[in-house]
Amino acid sequence: MARIETKSLTKQFGGLVAVKNVSFSLSSGEILGIIGPNGAGKTTFINLISGIYYPTSGSVFLDGRDISTMPAHERARRGIARTYQLIHPMESLDVLENVMIGFIFAAGKSLPEARKSAESLCAEIGLSQLHRSVSQLTMLETKKMEIAHALANGPTILFLDEVMAGLNSDETKAMIGLVQRLAKERNLAVGVVEHVMGVIRELTHRVIVLEAGELIAEGPYEEVSKNPRVIEAYLGGAA
Amino acid sequence: MTVNRKAVPWIILGAAAVVAILAWKPTVLIYGVQRAGLYASVAIPMALVLGIVHIVNLAHGEIMMVSAYLTYNIARSIGLDPWLALLPVALVMGIMGYFIFQLTIRHTLKAPELNQLILTFGIAITMTQAISLIFTPQTRKLPLSYVSMSATIGETSFGVYDFVYVAIALLMGFGIKWFLSNTRMGKAAVAVGQNPRGAAIVGIDVMKTYVFIFTVSVILVGMTGSVFMTRQSIFPYVGSPYTMKSFSLVAMAGIGSISGIIYSSLLLGIAEAAINGIRGASGWSGIVFFLIIIIVIAVRAYKGRKL
Amino acid sequence: MKKPANYIFPLALIFAGGLLPVFLGAYPQAVARSVFTFMALAISWDMLLRSGQISFGIAGFFGLGSYTAIILSVRAGVAPVVAMLSAAAFAALVAFLLGFLVLRLRSTYFSITTLALGEIFKVIIHNWSSFTGGPEGLVLPQVVFGGKSSSLYWLSYAILLFAVGASVLFEKSKMHFSLTAIRNNEIAARTSGINIFANLLIAFTASSLIQGLVGGVHVMSYGFAMPDTAFDANYTLLPLAMALLGGIHSTWGPIIGALLLGVISEYLKLMIPYGHLLVYGLIIILVILFMPRGIYGLIKKERSKRNG
Repeated sequence: MARIETKSLTKQFGGLVAVKNVSFSLSSGEILGIIGPNGAGKTTFINLISGIYYPTSGSVFLDGRDISTMPAHERARRGIARTYQLIHPMESLDVLENVMIGFIFAAGKSLPEARKSAESLCAEIGLSQLHRSVSQLTMLETKKMEIAHALANGPTILFLDEVMAGLNSDETKAMIGLVQRLAKERNLAVGVVEHVMGVIRELTHRVIVLEAGELIAEGPYEEVSKNPRVIEAYLGGAA
Repeated sequence: MTVNRKAVPWIILGAAAVVAILAWKPTVLIYGVQRAGLYASVAIPMALVLGIVHIVNLAHGEIMMVSAYLTYNIARSIGLDPWLALLPVALVMGIMGYFIFQLTIRHTLKAPELNQLILTFGIAITMTQAISLIFTPQTRKLPLSYVSMSATIGETSFGVYDFVYVAIALLMGFGIKWFLSNTRMGKAAVAVGQNPRGAAIVGIDVMKTYVFIFTVSVILVGMTGSVFMTRQSIFPYVGSPYTMKSFSLVAMAGIGSISGIIYSSLLLGIAEAAINGIRGASGWSGIVFFLIIIIVIAVRAYKGRKL
Repeated sequence: MKKPANYIFPLALIFAGGLLPVFLGAYPQAVARSVFTFMALAISWDMLLRSGQISFGIAGFFGLGSYTAIILSVRAGVAPVVAMLSAAAFAALVAFLLGFLVLRLRSTYFSITTLALGEIFKVIIHNWSSFTGGPEGLVLPQVVFGGKSSSLYWLSYAILLFAVGASVLFEKSKMHFSLTAIRNNEIAARTSGINIFANLLIAFTASSLIQGLVGGVHVMSYGFAMPDTAFDANYTLLPLAMALLGGIHSTWGPIIGALLLGVISEYLKLMIPYGHLLVYGLIIILVILFMPRGIYGLIKKERSKRNG
């Protein structure tokens, strides 16, 4: 069953239409790839679902309920979590405290409970030395913390915005395994924005392709990657 | 100039207000315009810095005050008329502006905005306190006969000297606009203001632009200070309200809009003069300014426009 | 984590502070009261600053509290304690209501608007003469405790402890996480379930409540209020410089800063009648340029170096 759905979702910034008429749905246990050339509106799309922006027109549904104008913090409490392409961790807090935030505010736990939950989540994900400052983390650790930060919400729906960017191939492999494991164990509905097609092929069950804000193709990766319109969108973007 | 269709009702409303004021008390309009000239000539240099260097200089009004004291002392010690003292004062202010930027502001450009805000606040306090220390809080004024020139139209007579502010504001406004769109340096400054990284990539020396623009703004507000000195009594805190008022005008105009500052100044100048014109209400005129500003900023914030 | 030593030092300090009037004469007690006043204001300013919002409205809420207390005492003859509590309540109420307007604003817009609000309060009080006494202000028939020095000391000390307690509560509770997250990354804070506006409103209201309370206590202790003294810009300036020097985003920072600057400025005031606040301006500039974390920031850094 569709957990999250959009209908004719549109976002306009002044004269620029960043997302245009996008309808999609995503179910529990499913990993969906969101691809498209730079500036296609992928991040804006996630911003609309997580509540950073409200749509100009069209709607977002969570379990059939219209949440188009629900504030971001309430969506977080109802199980939507995300990571950010440009990661700016809370630099005044240490690693553990960063992970605690979602447990405290989205999941509504008390401080001691949140501390315990954050410790076990970090252990599960493979983050150690939790009292380090976030500026001392390696790239892989930063990405892991970003995922832990999102998982702390206790989400049922998770959007990952380029979590593999900047990782080497071994790290990428490990990260793919981590995302797959988490999705399975927690029965998450996952949306993944990614530029590396190998990652998309390996990780996702299905992809949607955005170009200039519009959804131009949808289906399994193997199928979509042969779609002439998709090939043109990518080549057109590259040329 | 093209007229925006949305602006039409406002223009009609404005015209109606002008007619109403003329019918009620013509002097309100005159003093309002004069006041607007003063506000605009203080605010425009601040807008220049905010638009290009992206620094809110909370010492802006205090710089004007320092310049006024400088002018006063030159006038008192060697008997030079403030208008003639304008050039040496501009030179000194330019040097001061250069050093303020190089020694302090430059080092906080990459820091959080909080640091710049508090730094310039500290500079403002240092200036008022240093002037208090040297010259005591006593008010000072030069006895200049020409400032009380007046004119009579029909039955109303009014002071005309303050129209110099209007001239200064217009000169400054058009001068800066011309500079920014017609000179190499000005175009470079606009580019830096819009996108410092991009400007650096195409070979513009961003830091040099910042230094230049900041120094120019200190010179400009310094010159306004010299003129201010001819008319007003000065004391160490005389500049402080102008920092706040200038910022409010810049915020109201929208960052980077110089013509917007002129319109905002007119609105606020005339509104203040109108309140001053009501018998027994003059004490309230200060509030009009802040109320209008808060309303404007709040409306903008609610519309979700990026401030 | 909870070593007893962590509590012993602060408790001993609190106790020692309470005992001071036994050893000190009236003049040092008066100095201490003034230091406590600014210390409480510095702490209250920092409580909101932890969310990244710089208020320039300390003097505004301080003055509002002063006038609430003195108007209630003079016009309605209420008991001093009621007047002081009402000062806190009224400042908090005004902040709560205005919060819906100003807390949508960020950075400079917020700062300047808080400054403007203070000016508006002042203009209203200045002009509403029949009620507020106008420019000449109001005078209490009698100051609280009959002006007994040690009682006044304990009163302002109690208010200081209240401010410290509120600040520590902010540091040890969820507020610490929400305010820090808002300061560091507001957008990520939202998607972690933090209601930005509600948290800012709590911080703004709480910090204004303290400022109003301090104002109310101040006016009841000194016995008069005029627009120019109650809304004196120094009530914004001094706490700000104190918190910066001591170290922002902490409770200890404002305490350290207020102690240092409060005592120094008392001395300088005697030496230099006009312009002694020059020191404050210079300290603000130097701290921002060379020591943005303040003294407490340096201490913390040294400690963590030694421990790890």
